Parts: sequence; C-alpha cells; structure tokens
Amino acid sequence: MFSLERAISYAPPMGFEALDANDDAAVARRIIGCAPARDTAAEAEICRRLGPRIRLYGLKHLRSEAAAADLMQDVLVMVLQKLRDGAVRDPEQIASFVLGTARQMVIDGRRSGRRRVRILEAFPVDLTPADEEAPEPLDTKRLGRCLSALPERERAVLVLTFYDDRSADAVAAELGLSAGNVRVIRHRGLERLRGCMETAGGDA
Amino acid sequence: MTRASCTTPASTQDLLAYWLHELDGSQESRLDEHLFACAACSERLRTIVSVGAAIRNELLSGDFGFVLPAAFISRLKDSGLHVREYHLEPGGSVNCTVTPEDELVVAHMRAPLRDVRRLDLLVEDSAAGSMRVNDVAFDPAAGGVTMVPSVAFLRTLRNERQRVRLVAVDGVEERVIADYTFNHYPS
Repeated sequence: MFSLERAISYAPPMGFEALDANDDAAVARRIIGCAPARDTAAEAEICRRLGPRIRLYGLKHLRSEAAAADLMQDVLVMVLQKLRDGAVRDPEQIASFVLGTARQMVIDGRRSGRRRVRILEAFPVDLTPADEEAPEPLDTKRLGRCLSALPERERAVLVLTFYDDRSADAVAAELGLSAGNVRVIRHRGLERLRGCMETAGGDA
Repeated sequence: MTRASCTTPASTQDLLAYWLHELDGSQESRLDEHLFACAACSERLRTIVSVGAAIRNELLSGDFGFVLPAAFISRLKDSGLHVREYHLEPGGSVNCTVTPEDELVVAHMRAPLRDVRRLDLLVEDSAAGSMRVNDVAFDPAAGGVTMVPSVAFLRTLRNERQRVRLVAVDGVEERVIADYTFNHYPS
C-alpha cells in the first residue's frame, strides 16, 4: 500500500544529496523529463520535500493531525500524477502549484471520505517506501525545565497562547492587557525558551 | 525557489501570527506562498508548532504550577478535563486534596486588584519551604487570581499546610492584599 508517511521521512535517494535544500524545481523537472516512464526516486524525493509543507498547511487550516495527513496524501498523489502527465507547465513554479492544489482541496473538500476514495482510485500510486528516518524529537524534559524557569507572566502567556492556539487579541482579553503587549511577552518568552533549549542543561 | 532566493526569511513573529490566524487575508496568502517555496521557513514554523504542542502537554502533565485566568480554567473543564476547584475569600482557608481522577487542581483566590500594577505570590509551604512567584499575569478587573499548583507535587503531600499571600508591588513598596491557607490532606 502506498505510504507517503514513510516516503516523506527517509533520507534523499542517491543523486539528490547535492541538490539545494529548496530546489524542488529540479526534482519536478526530473519527473516530467522521465515521463511516461516513472522516476520513482525523484517521486519519492518530491514527496519527502513537499510532504511536510503540505501537512503543515493542513494543520494550519484544518487543525487536525488526521485531516492534515489525509490532505498531504491526497495532494501528493494529485501532484505526482499531474507531473507525470505533463500537466505542470512550469516546474519552476512547482511550490505554487502544490499550494494551489492544497488550497483548492481544503476549500472544496471540506474533505469528505467519498472524495478521498475517488482521488486514490483515480490516481493509483505505488511508491516503494525506503527506510524511515525518525525526525529529531523535541527534548521534552529540557523544555519542561526551561518552561518552569521562565518568568511567570511569560509562562502564562505561552500556555494561554498554545493550549488552544489563541490569538494575541484573545489572550489579551483574558489578561486585561493590550494585544501588542501580549505579542511582546509571547515573543520574549519564545526567544527565552529557544535560548534555554539551546543551552546545555536547559537553564533559562 | 532556490536557497539563494530566500533572502527574506519570515520573522518568528510573522510565523507565529500566521499560525494563530492573526494576519489578514493577503498577508496570510503571501506567507502561504513563501512557506511552500521555502523549506527553511517551513521547518522553523514546524518547530514553533511542536514547541507549542509540548507546552500544552506540560500543562497537562501536572509537573508544574501556573497562575492562569479563571476563564481559561473554564475552557479546560468544558473540554472534558477533570478539574478540582477551591474558592477562597481573602483571609480564607480550605481543607483540600487531590484524588486519582483529578487532572488539575485549582484555587480561585478572590482579591481586590483594581489598583494593583504588579502582583507577586508568596508561598510558604510546610513541606517545600518558601518561594516567591514574581509578576504574575492577572486581569485587575477579574477580582482575583487562579493558582494551578503542580498536581504531581500535590500527590506527594500528606497532611501539610500552605499559606499563600498576594503582594501588590509598586516600585520599592509592597503591601499584602490578601492571604489564604490551604490545609492539604491525602485522599
């Protein structure tokens, strides 16, 4: 079974290591140039590069890990098929093409199960997954130490912000502060947290 | 986009504003475009999002104490969290505990905060000693603050007494606004 989860998480296939980290267009050109044959290494590489960005877009707009993962899969399946079919006229604009596809799927979709089945049936893909490369995990123990070492006001603002992703306006209303003040405290807290996380031992 | 063309990386503030839906439509679209074209900025946003998730988990872990608005506690309860609550007037005391099913324990401490500019908490604990929490976030119009102690710490207590004082700070001057006594007993 096609598994983009695994396809996006492995190391670059042979021949892609030298590419610029952002040079998605070169990979897209390889897929287009190989059609109608399949360049499975290039297809896996485009998934590895674009998958996390699509998932992030899905998380932002759908606020659901599961929905974001579905969106990522559907968009990549669609994009790969369009690349193979020569339907992407300008590979230099592959990022915009992928964004447009993701945006349209979010708008249309509201993403019913029936639509997903149709996409997966219409565009069968069988990438061979390679070895997984686990993403670098966040050191939650250190984060806990760093969070506990923050000034109380910054901790409170960060918790209020991130517990359910609330805007500065919403947090400000709960604390009797201005939104601008919340943004300043929020930014200061995040920077202090980042500095602490980068310090050996996690001392804020 | 090549790495060389990413000469204007998004600021942390902009990434956060984007994530929290604070940008207007055109700003958000521009950042959407940039994030799809720029792996580095996309990775930075992913890091911010994962830090945010970790902060959320830290609250739920009960390992740390916080001072948070009562409205936030209400939202936690509405989301299904099991919250044990105590309400105290100035000078009040309460017998309190934590049970296995409690995910959070909170103390709503009423106090006149109208003219208070900075508020500190002085905590004297027969088990853990004394500590001072400086400059807590509070709404002067709320008429009190809500303390969320570490549930993990509460679970280690047997019969202990904790005294909490709210201190208004104005420059070098300090005055105690109210004090509260918590008599903890094991469940």
